[in-house]
Amino acid sequence: MARYGMALDYKNCINCKACETACKEENGILMGADKHRIWVGTGEIEGQYPLLDISSNAFYPSQCQQCDEAPCEAVCPTQATYYDENGVVRVNPDQCILCSYCMNACPYDARYVEERGMTIDKCNFCSDTRLARGETTTACQNTCPTKVRIFGDLDDPNSEISEVLRTREHYSLKAHLGTKPKLFYLT
Amino acid sequence: MKKIEISRRKFLQGSVALCVYATSSSATVIPKTTTKTSTKETTNIPYLCNMCRNKCAGFARVEDGIVTKLNPNQYFPKSRNMLCPKGNAGIDALYDRDRLKYPLIRIGKRGDGKYKRVTWDEAYEYIKDKLVKIFDEQKDNRSTLAYCNGEGFNKDEYIKFFGGKIGSANFLDEGSICLNTKLGATLLTIGDIGEPDVAGSDFIIMAGANRYESLITPDSIDMIKADKQKLVVIDPRCTVTAIKADEWLPINPGTDLALCLAMIYIALKDELYNKEYVKKYFDDFEKLKKHILNSNYTAAWAESKTTISATKIEKLTKDFFSAKKPLFYLGRRSVWAKNDFQFRRAMVLINALAGSINTKGGIIFGQPIKLPDEEINQPYYSNAQGRFDLEGIVYGSAKGGSWLNFREKLLNGTAPYPVKAMFIRKHNLMQNMPNIQKTKKMLEIMDLIVVLDTIPSDTAMMADVILPESTYLEREDMVVSFNRLEPSLALRNQTVKPLYESRSMQDILKGLGNKLTMPLFEISMKYDEELQESIKEMGKIDAFEDGGYNLSELYKHDISTRNKTLITKTFGKEAYKTLKEKGVWYPNMNNYHKEIFNNSYEYYPEDKKLYTINRKYRVKCYIDKLDKHGYDAMPTWKDSYDFTLPDKRFRLITGRYVMFTQSATTNNIMLRDIMKTNHIWINNAVAKKLDIAEGDIVEIKSNIGRVEILAYPTNKIAPNVVFFSHGFGSSSDELEQAFGNGANDNQLIEDKMENIYGCAVMNETDVQIKKART
Repeated sequence: MARYGMALDYKNCINCKACETACKEENGILMGADKHRIWVGTGEIEGQYPLLDISSNAFYPSQCQQCDEAPCEAVCPTQATYYDENGVVRVNPDQCILCSYCMNACPYDARYVEERGMTIDKCNFCSDTRLARGETTTACQNTCPTKVRIFGDLDDPNSEISEVLRTREHYSLKAHLGTKPKLFYLT
Repeated sequence: MKKIEISRRKFLQGSVALCVYATSSSATVIPKTTTKTSTKETTNIPYLCNMCRNKCAGFARVEDGIVTKLNPNQYFPKSRNMLCPKGNAGIDALYDRDRLKYPLIRIGKRGDGKYKRVTWDEAYEYIKDKLVKIFDEQKDNRSTLAYCNGEGFNKDEYIKFFGGKIGSANFLDEGSICLNTKLGATLLTIGDIGEPDVAGSDFIIMAGANRYESLITPDSIDMIKADKQKLVVIDPRCTVTAIKADEWLPINPGTDLALCLAMIYIALKDELYNKEYVKKYFDDFEKLKKHILNSNYTAAWAESKTTISATKIEKLTKDFFSAKKPLFYLGRRSVWAKNDFQFRRAMVLINALAGSINTKGGIIFGQPIKLPDEEINQPYYSNAQGRFDLEGIVYGSAKGGSWLNFREKLLNGTAPYPVKAMFIRKHNLMQNMPNIQKTKKMLEIMDLIVVLDTIPSDTAMMADVILPESTYLEREDMVVSFNRLEPSLALRNQTVKPLYESRSMQDILKGLGNKLTMPLFEISMKYDEELQESIKEMGKIDAFEDGGYNLSELYKHDISTRNKTLITKTFGKEAYKTLKEKGVWYPNMNNYHKEIFNNSYEYYPEDKKLYTINRKYRVKCYIDKLDKHGYDAMPTWKDSYDFTLPDKRFRLITGRYVMFTQSATTNNIMLRDIMKTNHIWINNAVAKKLDIAEGDIVEIKSNIGRVEILAYPTNKIAPNVVFFSHGFGSSSDELEQAFGNGANDNQLIEDKMENIYGCAVMNETDVQIKKART
């Protein structure tokens, strides 16, 4: 029993996509750019050459925000989307009927059609792969060259993620929607 | 919103192809059945990555004989517990269905890709017949065989075989199309190539390097992790490194030397330099001072060359010299302009003027762990002639030579003897150097071309014999020593048995050696008077043994045995055991290595890092030999360095994307999944004028070639410059992913060479651009 969350030191992201690659290799995600559990969002840089505002350009590692109040879970008519014992929002492919309500409900655009398993897939913190084997890191966290991702148990006051969230300022995406994400962006 | 080079999944086109891995690996099974993994036999085997030249360490998860995941190795000080996208995608290099699987012999015309599958023995036999004929015709001049290598591992052994044993002087490697000017400039100026202590610096200037898109460990990682470090990036493009910098100073391409000269000028004039250090270590400081001040390399002068404002240059210089631990990062990147050697040398001098040599945060000497050399008995061939590609070059690399000069001399008939055979190992000549048409012509004059590679590259398609080498995940290699500040040994273990009929390089050379030893010895007996003498003296058998003519001598024992013997003998049993289990070893590793924070590690305690070592060295301001050859003994700007752009033309510059290692990984299905192709960066205002929109296909013409490529109008590049990434536009249709994908820069880049190291100059070509179609 844990309550897993992830803090992202996103200003250290160099958009190398090692995380995306590691995720695909670990979790057997199909090829194709419209199929991935995690991605890095980028913005256009502002200004005209040579007067560019380099600080206007940030890379945002993004994915399922592992909401405590997940809209995708709430709308799922078959309970295919559920919380596991570690608070991770999971998908049971056997129960998924591909109605795509979850895709529409998710404010983070984190769900996609997984064509082989015929399910609406998303990030599950490597729960059925790495964590199931007893490993303590997610694939994206483990491989990251600049160590953007801090993963751990939010309920454990001694965990590094708890410590980081106590000591550093952070925010959640679209916090006003009340989804209570367990992904935290460190500022 | 931009569609290209923006990673937002909606905007990237999908690919439906499945890799071998996707159908054979348990990790690809949908979640509900993954519990079955518990019945599989799973091992984690330490290995060293080979997806680029950098070398990071990892653990391969092998389930029932299949590599299902590559994870970073937390013990390796160099790679700091990370794998980049290429490293992660190594699985797809191993299971690439386009891989070379069997030995092949050409049956069609060169370049048309028609081959027949043969046995290893048939391939060796074919090579033997051709080589015997060539060496017979060339009267045992062993240098009529040239050999080249583009892979970092096993290079020394490859040289020992073809250079040491077979006796050719003509070895070529990637140095002259890569970093030889930088290595040379550092070596000649401070007597060592050094290592930058990125983590220890509080102020870094980075010019001529793009560390967040061309990852070098640990530099790239240390840069981002270093708190309170200021990073100023000098680049004509707004690269990712520039975006992540504290300040980006866009520069006119090829004028970094002018910026460096002005920095030296300001430091000398305003006496910002470290006087104590200069007094202690500099040779000919007064000469340098006089030269720079008299040349009047003021900030205003540099502004006229670089387009960086004089005020900014003044400020940059003052900030740099007033920093506690300043470092002008010595980039490891291609040779950009004709003045590249002088540019790299000026960077070293700036570090020296700041006292940033052999000290924390500077260029350190440190102490690598020394590995003993495995000595072999090398025959002496009295008819073998010396190399000719360094003629007309001041220094050059006696080891790796100069590709452009080599090729030119063969083509224009000024080579003193013909080169008839070429052995090419993981070196894609048909894509890697400027002016591919000339490379093609050079290969066409060969009587024998043998390619050792893992993929059917454009160069493999020119071969007479193709020998499939196993990938890095299928073989053990000899132990390697890494780094100086946090030194370690690392071992590449075999993770799975070689697929198909591929073999390790050692096994390939062993087989070849066994086949060639006697026939080539007989050629020498026929022509080599010294050998004839010794046969007279001691008889044939002893002359053979004594002379070291057994070509397979090094391969009496397999790699595994050699590693065990060498490591155990030098570092002890425990070191060997650790290398097999953890892939890495260094003294006191068990005490020093610890996790300091979620997934981040410390490798050496601060007080054990050898920032400063006791060594005598000098900083050479003036190099006589350069002067004697008619070149500048001290960094100097020449009028010929001014690049004039004809009307309506653009300067073409090249570089890379983070997920590709030149042409070696553009067939990787996983990497192509995250970056589909290359595009030409063109200033958005210019594109508008030329009616070029994003995604249009544009035609690019230089004086030597023409390509078509997708357009990427952007504000990240100057109006008179265009850029596209190297490594694309493969012409080998055996490469399903890479064939015809994107454009190849070396179709356009003119073959221009700098004369200090004989390096190809990459950024001195102008092109015209026009919209081809929407």
